Amino acid sequence: MPALELRSIRKTFPGVVAVDDADLVLYPGEIHALVGENGAGKSTLSAIAFAELKPDSGTVIAHGTVGLVHQHFELVGRLRVWENVLLGREPRRGWTIDAHAARKRVRDIAERNGLRIDPDAVVETLPIGVQQRVELLRELDREPSVLLLDEPTAALAPSEIESFFQTVKALAACGTAIMIVTHKLQEVMAYSSTVTVMRHGRITATMPTASTTAEAIAQAMVGGEIPKVAAREERPLAPCLSIRTGDISLDVRSGEIVGIAGVEGNGQTTLADSITGMIPYDGTLSIERNGRPPLGVIPQDRQAEALVLAWSIVDNVMLGRQQVLRRGALLDRERARTDAQTIAQRFDVRAANLDVAVKTLSGGNQQKIVVGRALIDEPALVLAYNPTRGIDVGAAALVQSRLIEARNRGAAVLLISFELDELLAVADRIAVMYRGRITGEFERIAFDRGAIGRLMAGLA
Amino acid sequence: MEILSALIVLTLIKATPIIYAALGGVISERSGVINIGLEGMMAAGAFTAAIVSYATNAPLLGVLAGIVAGGLAGLVLAIAATRFKVDQIVAGTGINLICAGGAAYGLVLVFNQPGASKQVNALGPNYWVLVVLAFALAIALQWLLSRTPWGLRVRACGENPRSVAAAGLDPLALRTFAVTLSGALAGLGGAFLSIGELNLYSDGMTAGRGFIALAAVIFGRWNPLGATAASVVFGLFEALQYVLQGKISWLPADAMQALPYIAALIALAGVTGRVRAPASDGVPY
Repeated sequence: MPALELRSIRKTFPGVVAVDDADLVLYPGEIHALVGENGAGKSTLSAIAFAELKPDSGTVIAHGTVGLVHQHFELVGRLRVWENVLLGREPRRGWTIDAHAARKRVRDIAERNGLRIDPDAVVETLPIGVQQRVELLRELDREPSVLLLDEPTAALAPSEIESFFQTVKALAACGTAIMIVTHKLQEVMAYSSTVTVMRHGRITATMPTASTTAEAIAQAMVGGEIPKVAAREERPLAPCLSIRTGDISLDVRSGEIVGIAGVEGNGQTTLADSITGMIPYDGTLSIERNGRPPLGVIPQDRQAEALVLAWSIVDNVMLGRQQVLRRGALLDRERARTDAQTIAQRFDVRAANLDVAVKTLSGGNQQKIVVGRALIDEPALVLAYNPTRGIDVGAAALVQSRLIEARNRGAAVLLISFELDELLAVADRIAVMYRGRITGEFERIAFDRGAIGRLMAGLA
Repeated sequence: MEILSALIVLTLIKATPIIYAALGGVISERSGVINIGLEGMMAAGAFTAAIVSYATNAPLLGVLAGIVAGGLAGLVLAIAATRFKVDQIVAGTGINLICAGGAAYGLVLVFNQPGASKQVNALGPNYWVLVVLAFALAIALQWLLSRTPWGLRVRACGENPRSVAAAGLDPLALRTFAVTLSGALAGLGGAFLSIGELNLYSDGMTAGRGFIALAAVIFGRWNPLGATAASVVFGLFEALQYVLQGKISWLPADAMQALPYIAALIALAGVTGRVRAPASDGVPY
């Protein structure tokens, strides 16, 4: 008997059909991956399954309770682990919370599921991976028969991902039906038993994972060939960015992409912030403008540093371009609108119109606007910090192609990425950062995954 | 010695209305709503208490009416801040203006005179009950917030209302209740001003105590007991002004009256950057 049935679900938002005639059935014990590009309707469909949203039509039949682990954890940082886990279902003694019983209950659920946790730890002091455990424990306390996991590994380190899936597998083995919303195809292939693909609000395929390939899934997601990263052009290179500080000596020439490889937290943010002028630095840093705007920036955190979420697409496209858009004492809104239109077209931004607040867009579409804005004035230097983080394969390939195009028209591109695969695919040269220093450089012809990896780990 | 005991008594009396309002402020802000309307809710409580005491000759009914009036003003802010997601500062300021203006107009309607009400039956010596009650409520609220399920939920709601929703509870209902309670407490503080300490309502008698209470909330780090201690400090400065009046001839009386406000300003400047408000304080859900 299925644990959860979604039949002929349809859901529209103003201007968009988010989910169209979708059927999805989850069985006890299975790990069901729901994949699709950003904006394909995965999040809407899981919100409907969780009864957070009401469908316009169709039926939802759940046998037992449904739990949802959010992509952005819904935790209270200043409260303790047990307070977060048992919020709303606190064990009582008279009028007060029985803290002793609460700790014991949290310890019990954790132990039963093979999760290590200190019930008294304050959540904000815990690493991300452990915080997710807290979020998971809160759902497990309700003994759900269906557990929905929305992009559960987006914030996790590789070692945390492995142990996370061990837990998930154990849960499934105990008869919980599990649905994982994701766009990481490696994880789909490694851990799921069934995979359902969504595209433009419709379910395009449901199949056993064992009988398919990552390529086939990717193709079903984007509906055709995956856009290939555009070809490189060779040309003589003139210096553009030159950095000389105590720790870093780095040159990026016009017409090349230099990748910065390194594990998060090895000085990449300091480097980026020095270039953008957010923080002071010792030493010299120069950018050869060649008559262009000097710098286009794709910041690391699009929601915190790149966009004003409540503003429209047009207004966000104006941000940081005051010099370019100046017309006397005013800003040229018409040109900004044209620019926004160009960006929407070149990057295939899916939005009802250019005046909607960017917070209503999916993460991938938001990122496309950020990248489009950084490139539209054809700056001499492009600084891209994890430009494809948290977006789907199709959007990522598009962003990478546009960076390569910028390089081909003569821009210097500094690409800081925590994903070595991305750098190996796109960069002309890779510099490795470890503990704030550049510990090695590799020309494309000498790219060596093993050697780069050892430098990243500080082993060489 | 005499002057010292007089100072202590006066400090407690002057602190009491600020304590009530500050406790209201703590509850509201811990749930995630900044109650800038405390001042107006105090005025509503003070005015209504005086009117009802005048009409019934029963000051106790007046106190209850003051609580209800403050609670209603709190409910208005709560609905504006939750259901309609109005900016909390704007809505609270609106409540301050409406309550002050409404009371001024009410004086003319009921007593046919602007500025102040006629003298009404006051609590008299019984006002001590309300002084003691303020401190008792502070202890009770501290206990409720830190030990009970309701307290945990209110605190979670002020930090991250979505966590409350994820736990299957209604953050808006929690906030509505907290802000209404906040108004009721401020109303009680107002009632103490008009028919506890005095026996009439006069325009502007709250004199910024609602804002002083907001300072006490921050100075007391959003804890009921901390806010109460801060209120006592502000009460002390207000009391000092009476005790010192005429004793320091070179200082003008106006400067003396400014003492509690200056104290609040200095206190706030001193703690800024070293205290941490609830993460979702003032953020609509």
